[in-house]
Amino acid sequence: MSEFLGTTPAIVNLRVLLIGAGITVAVSLAAIALGFAIAAPVCAARLSRHRALRGAGALYVSIFRGVPLLVQLLVVYYALPFVGLELPSFVAAAIALGICTAAYQAENLRGGFLIIPPGHHTAAHAFGYGPVQTWRYILLPQALRAAAPALVNEMIGILKASSLVSVVGVADLTRVSQNIVARNMQPILWYSMAAALYLAINLALAATAGTAERRLGRGMARVAL
Amino acid sequence: MTTPRRVGFATAKPLYLLAAAAALLLTRPAAAQDALADIKQRGEIVAGTELQFAPFEFLEGDKPVGFDVDLFERIGKDLGVKVKWVDLPWASVLPALEAKKFDMVVAGTTISKARLERYDMTLPIGDATVALIKRADDKAITKPSDIQGKVVASMKGSAQLQILQDYAKTLPGGVAEVKVYIGSSNAYADLAAGRVEAVATSLPNLLYLQKTQPMFETVLPPFGPPAYLAWVLRKTPDTKTLLDAVNAEIKKFDQDGTIKELQIKWFGKDVTLPYENIPAPTY
Repeated sequence: MSEFLGTTPAIVNLRVLLIGAGITVAVSLAAIALGFAIAAPVCAARLSRHRALRGAGALYVSIFRGVPLLVQLLVVYYALPFVGLELPSFVAAAIALGICTAAYQAENLRGGFLIIPPGHHTAAHAFGYGPVQTWRYILLPQALRAAAPALVNEMIGILKASSLVSVVGVADLTRVSQNIVARNMQPILWYSMAAALYLAINLALAATAGTAERRLGRGMARVAL
Repeated sequence: MTTPRRVGFATAKPLYLLAAAAALLLTRPAAAQDALADIKQRGEIVAGTELQFAPFEFLEGDKPVGFDVDLFERIGKDLGVKVKWVDLPWASVLPALEAKKFDMVVAGTTISKARLERYDMTLPIGDATVALIKRADDKAITKPSDIQGKVVASMKGSAQLQILQDYAKTLPGGVAEVKVYIGSSNAYADLAAGRVEAVATSLPNLLYLQKTQPMFETVLPPFGPPAYLAWVLRKTPDTKTLLDAVNAEIKKFDQDGTIKELQIKWFGKDVTLPYENIPAPTY
């Protein structure tokens, strides 16, 4: 009787879970990169002297911060085909996560720029720095340094939010753990494994980001507050 | 094709450019008028499913397996195409079919009035009569009507949920609550945890669950109207050829005994399904 039932050995399930974790990391990193690529111009637009650009930047932020990510995923995957834009699951998920995280990243970056006293701009000018040099050597390092903790927060946030992507058919860590539980009815074991993997990924992400933060902070005096 | 709708966020410039670039890369030529010819030309049929519905479709390691998978892989072979499986949460499967994310749904889908209005459905591939499953050590439920006054559950968007709700209304005291779950595994997990007293779904799934998980026990007899599972296609003129081909294949595999063999393999017993005069669903 039980010959047609079969059992999946735990080692096979573990391998499936690790592949799911790989998908989670891949879709999140793609989203973070895309998000940063969008966030930089959106942030620049919000800080622009031109009113129209400021408006466009603000509009972007309010739309993508204001619509739940789950709904954005559903729109990208299910509504865009009706306007002729057919996206594979993984691409749809990465884009939806990316355009959402971009709104938050843009605000984090903007916060970083706002702490720079206007005098730095003037001083750079006085020292003969051109606009590009001013950005490269004076403004950007300070802004990134100031925004770094918030940006890391956002990265970890989007990695966790990537657990929603199964609604568009991406077999991420959450989805494969659900599939495994559907098969073997061991929710405590496999959901705990998934939780441990998420934690491990985020600890690695935080450690990497911590190193980057220290590099950004090189040459800064350590001041006790 | 509906009138192109402007999606609000397309006004943001970077995204607009990105979308335009993606459109250039990804827009496929307009769909052929003949879905079957289109599939054969591609050499691949994309089947949408939900791999949490043992014994019809589920995962063994990372491989889709089950009754539907066995039968549809054979059909694909006959049609000379490879089968590609796409796994989605159940509530997303039919919307994704409409968004043309795949050629058809190959998942045990109960034939219902509402679905027949909106979709084309194949010949029945399984019995979907509704039954309940409970914890084996729960002595308070021995027949379906014992769920009176208790918390019971079924799955979101399923015909079984509707049949359960209708059945609950016929009980003098009704039930305490009908909980609705996204996936059957969540419902079974809550049944095991004691948050619900019984879960309603189609009988073959329950018999299979009982065999693999002795902590659960099916409550017999099944209740509600006779119901059947079938596969689903978009109701558009181009899918007619595919529907006819799949139906002809189902009949062929019924006549040569393949379906019976697969039923014994996956359900432990064979079931006769109606191919002529299929009873019209009452729900």
